[in-house]
Amino acid sequence: MKIPMIWLNDFVQVDDISPEQLAEKLVNVGFEVEEIIYTGSNIERVVTGKILDIQKHIDADRLSVCMVDVGAEITTIVTAATNIRVGNVVPVALDGAVLPTGKTIHTGDLRGVTSYGMFCSGAELKIDGSVIEGAEVDGILILPPETPIGQDIKTVLGLDDYVLDVSVTANRPDCQSVYGIAREVGAVLGRKVKQPNLKYKTVETSTRIPSVTIVNGQLCTRYEGRLVTDVKIETSPKWMRDRLRLAGIRPINNLVDITNFVLLEIGQPLHAFDLRFVDGDICVRTALPDEKIVALDGNEYKLQDTMLVIADDKKPLAIAGVMGGEYSGIMPDTTTVFLEAARFDRGSIRTTSRTLGLRSDSSARYEKGVDWFSVDMGRERALSLISQLKAGKITTSKSSAGIAAPAAKTIQTTATEISGLLGIEVKTQQVVKILKALCFDVVISGETLTVVVPGFRTDVENYTDLAEEVIRYYGYDNIQSTFMATARPTVGGYGDKQENVEALKDLLCGYGAYEIMTYGFINRKQVDMLLLPQDSPLRAMIEIKNPLSEEYAVMRTQLAGSMLKVVYNNTNRKNESFRLFEIARTFRPQSLPLTELPNERLTLSIALTGADEGFYALKEIVGDILHKFGVCYTMDYSKQSWLHPGISADILTDDTIIGSFGKVHPKVMEAFGIHIDTYMAEIDLETFIGTRIATKIYQPLPKFPAVNRDLAVLIDDAVPVGHMIEAIRNAAGCLCEQVELFDIYKGAQIDADKKSVAFSLAFRAKDRTLNDAEVQTVMNAIVQSLENAFGAQLRM
Amino acid sequence: MEERINDIVAECTAGIDAAVSVKELTDCKVKFLGKNGALTGILRNLKELNEQQRPLAGKLVNEARSLLETRFDARFRFLKEEELNRKLQAEKIDITITPHIREVGSLHPLNAVRRKIESFFISMGFSVYDGPEIETDYYNFEALNIPADHPAREMQDSFFITKNILLRSQTSAGQIRTMEKVKPPIKMISPGRTYRSDDLDATHSPMFHQIEGLVVDKGITMCDLKGILEMFAQHFFGQGTKIRFRPSYFPFTEPSVEVDVTCHNCHGAGCRICKGTGWIEVLGAGMVNRKVLEGCGIDPDEYTGFAFGMGLDRIAIIMSGLDFKAIFENDIRFLKQFK
Repeated sequence: MKIPMIWLNDFVQVDDISPEQLAEKLVNVGFEVEEIIYTGSNIERVVTGKILDIQKHIDADRLSVCMVDVGAEITTIVTAATNIRVGNVVPVALDGAVLPTGKTIHTGDLRGVTSYGMFCSGAELKIDGSVIEGAEVDGILILPPETPIGQDIKTVLGLDDYVLDVSVTANRPDCQSVYGIAREVGAVLGRKVKQPNLKYKTVETSTRIPSVTIVNGQLCTRYEGRLVTDVKIETSPKWMRDRLRLAGIRPINNLVDITNFVLLEIGQPLHAFDLRFVDGDICVRTALPDEKIVALDGNEYKLQDTMLVIADDKKPLAIAGVMGGEYSGIMPDTTTVFLEAARFDRGSIRTTSRTLGLRSDSSARYEKGVDWFSVDMGRERALSLISQLKAGKITTSKSSAGIAAPAAKTIQTTATEISGLLGIEVKTQQVVKILKALCFDVVISGETLTVVVPGFRTDVENYTDLAEEVIRYYGYDNIQSTFMATARPTVGGYGDKQENVEALKDLLCGYGAYEIMTYGFINRKQVDMLLLPQDSPLRAMIEIKNPLSEEYAVMRTQLAGSMLKVVYNNTNRKNESFRLFEIARTFRPQSLPLTELPNERLTLSIALTGADEGFYALKEIVGDILHKFGVCYTMDYSKQSWLHPGISADILTDDTIIGSFGKVHPKVMEAFGIHIDTYMAEIDLETFIGTRIATKIYQPLPKFPAVNRDLAVLIDDAVPVGHMIEAIRNAAGCLCEQVELFDIYKGAQIDADKKSVAFSLAFRAKDRTLNDAEVQTVMNAIVQSLENAFGAQLRM
Repeated sequence: MEERINDIVAECTAGIDAAVSVKELTDCKVKFLGKNGALTGILRNLKELNEQQRPLAGKLVNEARSLLETRFDARFRFLKEEELNRKLQAEKIDITITPHIREVGSLHPLNAVRRKIESFFISMGFSVYDGPEIETDYYNFEALNIPADHPAREMQDSFFITKNILLRSQTSAGQIRTMEKVKPPIKMISPGRTYRSDDLDATHSPMFHQIEGLVVDKGITMCDLKGILEMFAQHFFGQGTKIRFRPSYFPFTEPSVEVDVTCHNCHGAGCRICKGTGWIEVLGAGMVNRKVLEGCGIDPDEYTGFAFGMGLDRIAIIMSGLDFKAIFENDIRFLKQFK
């Protein structure tokens, strides 16, 4: 919120303190100052001057030579301007002047005549009609004739001001105004805060004021109307226009300016209705079915039955607290005004404003919460300003509806209680002093403080709120560091699941994989790009009602799509060999639309990209992970749509697929635009990651040597090696310690449909050294078994 | 006789010194000390000497043999050393070559920061709580003292799924879930993903990460809050880091503060990173609001507590100069920088 220092000074003296100092003090009590704006920045050595004489330039038709009184001297200015006359007061940029456009002005020769400066237009001073009339004309800015000569233009135009851009936290709607901030400034500087002038004279009138009825008492707790007659629409005085402009509001006319002024100064939105367009009486009610209104912005809005409107006997006049209707505004010929000051429910205004997509200064203010007292103060202040500006006559006619303000809140506490929460001792007198400076009433009775909360402090409810008031003024620097002396010890740490996840990440890093992080929401097209079948449960995705874009529209049910996007981003930038992993949640709804929280499943995704990667490299990693977490599993060719059907595997535990891995399907690669072979795994970690890894029990190391044998067999090409190993193990029994594939040979000397498979075997008994005969018996059994099962022939 | 021995010693010593390989030296040793060697020859001819001369001659031969053996050993050691050195020299490789070998990977920089933060709080007796990313309005707002019409809802524009279910906009939801389940003493942190309706740019992202902290027990004060945060700041940002509280507002804490730490770059002197202030805002904190405690069935007259929350991404951005686009782009060249 923009707080001009000059406006603040109307209530509390701040003209003897620098804006920086004031800003620091405000920050210390909880009002962040986002910016200190100096409105006259970048204007130097520009003064007012009176044109005494204008002559044509001898050598240039289009130039004039002017004698100008700039106060200290009479100087010569050569200009091409045509809108100047002798006697005009204009801004003169002297030698060395700096303009906000960044231009520097120097004395110079113009076709043989020395010009000691330049006249300025409004545009050159970067000002518009809101600063001074005539600023927008194409030509030199002509100032009012009574403007003093030789003055700094910044002072003359009211540009020599500082504005604090204060950010007010959501709990302090009472500080959403110049007067509200002034109260805090008064407390922080220890200075008296002046009340705004609320005085005015009234007249009797025969004009009937519309009565007010509130139908929805919860949405409008107070509605006050006043009648102002003999309205004269004019430009408001410079001091008012200056203040509005500094606060970022464009001045319009006296009546509109007054309502805006009060909104900024007191924090009370007001609305002025032209009485000519009010048919009968005022009713504050929710919109009727199919009711529509054309608002002041010229757009027609279809209202819903939860939206509050200000209506007369025939039509809605305004969307309450948001915007007036087309006929409700002030016209140049407006003569009688019905002035509204009301308190609308902030939630209702917020919803209406959001639903209609219509915001105004008024709705923004109401959303933050308007207190009971600003309705009265704002109304009185507006009437006083109307009177002061002679913009109309205030009549004694009033209409009013609503409920009375609640009684002031009282909190009983002690300095000890407050100190207890803060952890430092703050003395009773100190507590009382701070609270009183902030307009709280405090009655001391022994230790007990009975604190009466000022009506505008809706945020203060109990002693902890008072503790906050005390400490922000006493100073947070007084808070010492202590170490929970009264707290009981706790055992901290990760849970089993978190610990396992961290261990898993370390394992993957060890395999050379880098962790990635991607968004939880995705483009729903991903499921198509992954070729997921129409009946795939992964297509049941949770939709976000208000997504930023299609890219972030649904919650992901798989990580593969996000991973492939990252692979694409990398390969597209010529990063061609890398390993990546991500551990994140996938979101599986029980039903759609969501009626309960979905199942969030921690999922692992791995990608290996590069010419030297392959299925078996990925299989090794996957196997290691499953082994680490003690998962008993089997593998079979994968049925995942996004994987190559022949170079992929599903991981099964008890016939349930817990993950899949393999080469990415060429069609999927194409859909994602990836041209380098990529192998991916996706594993549902929820099935095992929560189980604590079993403590390992020591197995004594073997005492007797192993006997090693090699075995090579000729076998049908179609027989999977895994089946052969299984057969070897079964046949060898407990003496077989290790079966390792060391060669597969196809080619010359071997039939086309056969392959030669060689294993290295190790045999060992726990209790003795095996002799040749024993080993040979087992070897024979193995060969026999391979022969029986697969028709294998021993190769010699 | 003596003369003869001395000649052999001199001749053999010359042979030892002349040998440049182990082989030559071995040959030399055989020539003089071997079975048919010169010195052995003298010993063999001892019987030709008379009884008196024999012991002396034997003594001289043995002395000469012992002397020569010492010299042979020394020369052998020298030559072996030299030979090994030559071999080592010959085996020398070009160590400036870096062949393509699979290197170790690393955590995403955000997770590395998260781990470091977690490890501090775990060491202080905090448990780590994991909450759902898709939350109910109750846990994300209502129970945190942010009722439906509260302007604080404006502070964070959330992504909604239904009227009452949304992507959590703050990990503070974890406070409530913890306090409903666990009774004091409570010391917990709750790290996780959070979502708000902000377009992606250098300092904003629709998805980001927070770490929430909560302590509830008897007699917990604001000074305790400062104590733990100061310790954390020193652990994380370096010894000598100071912290400062500034008044602020969060609906779920009262009083509420913003917490600044002295700039890790300039140590408070003022620099580009801290925009000349010497301070960097890193977290929000405060004493748990009585209403929040009450709502979770904890008696606020018996227990007090503090809570704090920090933006993980923000801290990583401050510490490492990252920006959000890089964080979620996952370019391998970016990821490798944080090994």
